[in-house]
Amino acid sequence: MAQGELIATEHEDWRHFLRKALGNRSFLAGATITLFVVAVALVSFVWTPYDVTKLVIADRLQAPSSAHWFGTDHFGRDILSMTMVGSRNSIAVALIAVGIGMALGVPLGTFAAARRGLTDEVLMRASDIVFAFPALLSAVMITAIFGPGAVNAIIAIGIFNVPVFARVARGAALALWPREFILAARASGKGAGLITLQHILPNIANLLLVQGTIQFSLGILAEAGLSYVGLGTQPPAPSWGRMLFEAQTMMAIAPHMAIVPGLAIIVTVLGLNLLGDGLRDVLDPRLRRQR
Amino acid sequence: MLSYALRRSLIVLITLVAASAIVFAVLEIVPGDPARLMLGMNATEDAVQALRQQMGLDQSVAVRYVAWIGGMLTGDFGRSYTYAVPVIDLVRERLVVSLPLAAMALVLSTAIAIPVGVFSAARRGTAADTGVMAATQLGIAIPNFWFAILLVYLFAITLRLVPAGGFPGWQGGVWPALSALILPAIALALPQAAILSRVTRSALLDVLGEDYIRTARAKGLPSGLVLRRHALRNALIPVLTILGLQFSFLLAGTIIIENVFYLPGLGRLVFQAITQRDLIVVESVVVLLVATVVIVNFLVDLAYAWADPRLRRR
Amino acid sequence: MSEPVLDIEGLSLAIGRHRILKGVDLTVHAGEIVGLVGESGSGKSMTAHAVMRLLPHAASVTGSIRFAGNDLLAADETRMCDLRGDEIGMVFQEPMTALNPVKTIGEQVAEGIRLHRRVGRAEAEDRTRAMLDRVGLPESRFPLSRYPHELSGGQRQRVVIAIACALHPRLLIADEPTTALDVVLQAQILDLLRSLVAEDDMGLILISHDLGVVADMADRITILREGAVQEAGETAKVLTEQRHPYTRQLAEASTHVPAWSNAGTPPNGDRPLLEVIDVSRHFRGHRTGLFSRGEAVRAVDGVTFSIASGHSVALVGQSGCGKSTLARMVLALDKPTAGAIRFDGMPISSLGESALQPARREMQVVFQDPYGSFDPRKKIGHSVAEPLHLSERRLTRPERRERIAAALLEVGMQPDDARKYPHEFSGGQRQRLAIARAIITRPKLVVADEPVSALDVSIRAQILDLFARLNDDLGLAFLFITHDLTVARAITHDVMVMDHGKIVETGRTGEVLDNPQDEVTRRLIAAAPDLERAIAKRMAR
Repeated sequence: MAQGELIATEHEDWRHFLRKALGNRSFLAGATITLFVVAVALVSFVWTPYDVTKLVIADRLQAPSSAHWFGTDHFGRDILSMTMVGSRNSIAVALIAVGIGMALGVPLGTFAAARRGLTDEVLMRASDIVFAFPALLSAVMITAIFGPGAVNAIIAIGIFNVPVFARVARGAALALWPREFILAARASGKGAGLITLQHILPNIANLLLVQGTIQFSLGILAEAGLSYVGLGTQPPAPSWGRMLFEAQTMMAIAPHMAIVPGLAIIVTVLGLNLLGDGLRDVLDPRLRRQR
Repeated sequence: MLSYALRRSLIVLITLVAASAIVFAVLEIVPGDPARLMLGMNATEDAVQALRQQMGLDQSVAVRYVAWIGGMLTGDFGRSYTYAVPVIDLVRERLVVSLPLAAMALVLSTAIAIPVGVFSAARRGTAADTGVMAATQLGIAIPNFWFAILLVYLFAITLRLVPAGGFPGWQGGVWPALSALILPAIALALPQAAILSRVTRSALLDVLGEDYIRTARAKGLPSGLVLRRHALRNALIPVLTILGLQFSFLLAGTIIIENVFYLPGLGRLVFQAITQRDLIVVESVVVLLVATVVIVNFLVDLAYAWADPRLRRR
Repeated sequence: MSEPVLDIEGLSLAIGRHRILKGVDLTVHAGEIVGLVGESGSGKSMTAHAVMRLLPHAASVTGSIRFAGNDLLAADETRMCDLRGDEIGMVFQEPMTALNPVKTIGEQVAEGIRLHRRVGRAEAEDRTRAMLDRVGLPESRFPLSRYPHELSGGQRQRVVIAIACALHPRLLIADEPTTALDVVLQAQILDLLRSLVAEDDMGLILISHDLGVVADMADRITILREGAVQEAGETAKVLTEQRHPYTRQLAEASTHVPAWSNAGTPPNGDRPLLEVIDVSRHFRGHRTGLFSRGEAVRAVDGVTFSIASGHSVALVGQSGCGKSTLARMVLALDKPTAGAIRFDGMPISSLGESALQPARREMQVVFQDPYGSFDPRKKIGHSVAEPLHLSERRLTRPERRERIAAALLEVGMQPDDARKYPHEFSGGQRQRLAIARAIITRPKLVVADEPVSALDVSIRAQILDLFARLNDDLGLAFLFITHDLTVARAITHDVMVMDHGKIVETGRTGEVLDNPQDEVTRRLIAAAPDLERAIAKRMAR
C-alpha cells in the first residue's frame, strides 16, 4: 500500500480511538496513573529531593516530616527519593520482560497457528513445559546458576512471558484462519507468511496490546517479589521489593518504611490494570462492529 | 472418557520427563564440584575423588539422570550435601508446612471468589457491582508479601492475636500450628481471590449472553434459576482454567510468603540450599514443585471433561 | 370469529432515540398460523421479543399486548415467568446454540414441565419422552441422556420445539425457525410445526424473511417494513392482489429471474476449462480409543465433472453433502485424497503454491457471508486489489488504482469506495465488493459459495442480475454452490446434484428441475419453498 494512504488510515483510526478512549473512565484513570509513574521515573534521572547514595546516619528512621515527606530509612536515606529511583528498576525490568515475551512468543504463536498439525502440537507442548515452572521457580534456578541480579530477574520473568504471548497469539490467529477474508487472501495466492503479516497481525494487535499491559503489571509484581527475597535488583541500587524487605525488619519501630514502597507498587500495578481494561473496552471489535 | 484421561496422562508423563531433564541439565552446567563443596577447600584430592565415586559423580550424564529419576520414583532423592541427611527427609519435614498452607490458601480464595463473582454478575451495573469490582481491582494490585507485612504489623505486633512468624510444628497440637498458618494463608489468598472473582464474573456475563440462556428464560425460568442451573456450570470452564494456573502462582507465592513469616517450608529450604549451593536439594524441590503444577493441571483437564460433555468423546 | 389468543394494538418500541416499532397491530387466533414477514431490520424479531417480554433493559414500549385475558405489558416478571414456557412457547433461529451444551436433552425438556406443573421427576420424564416422540425423536434412537452436541441441527431444532410445546401452549412464536437449515430439513420442521398447530389448536406466529415459506404455511400474513405494518390480511388475498407496492416489490424480488442473454446458449464452445476427475476427499474419523479412530468420513467420494469456459454451473445439495469441500478443492485451498483436478490444462491438485499462481489468476472466489469476507482493518481498496498479487509483473500505483476503479465500476460501485472501510457498507454492497475482488484479475472462472443466501430478497435480486451481466459481458464461467434451487434456475446453464459425497444427477438446469430422475433431486425440489406454487395451492383450497 502507498505511504500516503497508510498514514491516512492511521490518522483516521487515531481520531476514532481517541474519541472512544476519552469517554472511557478506566482508560483515562489508567493512562493518567501510568503516565504519572513514568514521569516520576524520568524525573528521578535528573532530580530527586535527596541523594539516595548518601547515608546520613544522624537522620535515620525519621517519621514523615516537612523535610522528609515519607520519612527516612535505617541509613537515614530519604524514602521519597528512594521510591522515585526504585521505579526505574521496576519499569525497566517489567518492560524488557514483556518485550522478550512478545518478541519470542508472538512469532511462535502465529507460526504454530499457520502451520497447525505437528508443529503446533510440539510448540504448545513446549509451552506447557515452560508453564510448569512458576516464574519465581525459574528465577530460583537461574539465580542458583548465575547468581542474583536484575538481569537474571528480567530473563526469568521474560521466559515466563513467552508462552503467555505464544498462547494468546496462537488462539487469536487460529480463530482468524478459517475466516472468509483469509480464504480470499489465500485464493489470491498469498502465502502464510504474507497473510500473517498483512491480515493476522493487524487483527490480533489489540489483543496483544491488552495482554502486554497485563504482563507488564504482573512483571512489576514479580520483580518486587524477587527483589524482596534477594534474587532481583541488588543493593545498593534502590528497588521497591528490597525496600520492603528492609522495612520488615524495622516494622516494630518504623512502620512508615513499609507504606510508601508498597503503595508505589499498588499504584503502578493498578494504573496498568486499569489501562489494560480500558484499552480492551475501547478496542473491542465486538463493540466496534456496526451492523 | 477413559481414553481422554489416558491420552492426557501420556502428555503429563512427557511433560514431566522433559521438565526434569531441563532441571537436571541446567544444574549440570553449574560450575563447582559438589564433592569439593562438601569436603571444603582443604580436603585432599584423593578424598574428593573417593567421595565423587561414592556419590556416583564419575559416571556419565545419562546414567546419572536415569539413576536420579529412578531414585525419585522410589523415594530416594539422594543425600543433601550440607545437611548430610537424605533429601526426602528434609522435604517431608518441610512439606507438612507448605502443603497445608497452599491448600488453605486455595480453598480460602475459591470460597471467597466464586460467591463474590456470582453476586457481582447478578447485579451487573449496580453500585454494589461497581464497588466490588473496584475492590477486586485493588486486590489484584496488592503484592501478597506487602499485604503479609501489614497483617503481621496489625495482628501480631499491634494486636498480638497470633504469632508474628515461625512454626511450632504439628506435634504441639493442631491449633497452634494452624494459627501460625492463618495469616500467611490470608495473605496468599486475598489477591488470588480478587483475580478469581473477576474471572468468575466475566465468565458468567459471557455465558448470560448466550442463546441457550434466552431459551431457558423462554421456558419460564426466573432469572435466579437461570443463573444457577444454566449459567454457572458453563461459566465454570474458564474459571477452572484460571484455578489451574493460579495453583502455580500460589506455589510461587508460598516461597515468598514463607520468608515473610519465617515458616520452615519448602520455599525456605530452597533459599537456604541456594545460598549453600546444595544443588541436589534445589534440584529435588524444583522438580517436585513442577510435578505438582503439572499434576494439578492434569486434574483441571479432567475436571473440564466433567464440566463439559463435549470434551468427553475426544 | 372467536376471541383472539393474542391481540397486539399500536405497539411501539424504542431503544434510546432509535425507534424500532411504530404502532404495530397483530392478532392471532387459536389454531391459526400468522406469518410475520419483513427484511432484516424490519422489527419482526423485536415484536416477538416484546410479546415474550424478553427485551433489552433500555427498551421503552407503548401500546397494548393482550394475551388470553392478560395485559402482558402490565404483567410483572413473576406472572411472565408463569406464562413463558407454559402458555406461550418460543422457537429460535439458531438451533446450534439454542440448547445448553452441558445438559442432556431430557433435562432441558423436563425442566419446564417440572417448573410449571410441579410434578415429580418420573412423571416429568414420562411426559418428556412423549413430547420428544411427538417431535420425531423417539426414545429408541434418541434417549433422554443425549447431549445437544450429539444431535444434528435439524434434530436440535426439534428439541427446541419440544421445549416450547411441552405444555401445549396456546401461542407459539417461531422466529426464523428454519433459516439456519437446508431446504429438506426446513420442509420437515415446517411440517412438524403445522401438525402441532393442528393437534393442539394453538396459535402460531411464524416469523420469516422468506415469502415462499410464509405463503405455504400462513393463513394470514402481516408485512413489516422499518417497524411499521405495510399490509395485513388473508395470505392468498394479499399475495395474489399485491395491492401494496412493497408487497409487490417483495413478491417480484422473491421470484426474480435476471435478464440474461446467454441464458439459453452458453458462449465459447465446449473447450473444458475445469476438469474434475474421480476426486475424493476423506477426513480422519473421530477418535474412539487411545490409538483407534472411527471410520474416515468420505466428504467427497469419486466425483467427476467438467465445466466449459463461459458456462454457468450450479452444484446443489443438502448441507453436509460435500459441496463446500469440493469447492475448496477446485479453488486449490485443499488437496484431494485421490483423483485429479485440471484447470485450463494445469494439474492444480498436484501443484505447489508458487506453480499455482497462473491458475489462481484465472480462478477467483465469492463467499456467502458479506461481513466475514473483508478484513475489517483494511480499506476496501486493499482487499479488492488483493488478487493483483498474482499479476505477472508488479503494477505501478496508477495502474493499480485504475484496475481497482474499473472493477468497482463494473459491479456498480464508485472508485471513491476504495478509500472506505468494510463497516461503512451494507451487506449487499459488500457482496458487490466481493465480486469486484473476484473479477479484478479478469479470471475465467468464479466459484461462488452460497453468494446470495445471506442477503435480503431485494438485494439478492440485484446480485443475481450482476452475475448474469458478468456472464454476458465478460464470458465468465461460474460454479455456484447453493442449496437454493431458485438461484440455480435463475442463473445457471447446468446443474449437478450432490448427495453424500457423490454426484447423483447432472444435466441442463431446466430439464433436471422440471423432470428430476433421482430420488435426491426429487426430494430437494419438493422441499424447496416456491412462492408461485404456494399461492396456486392456496387458491385451489
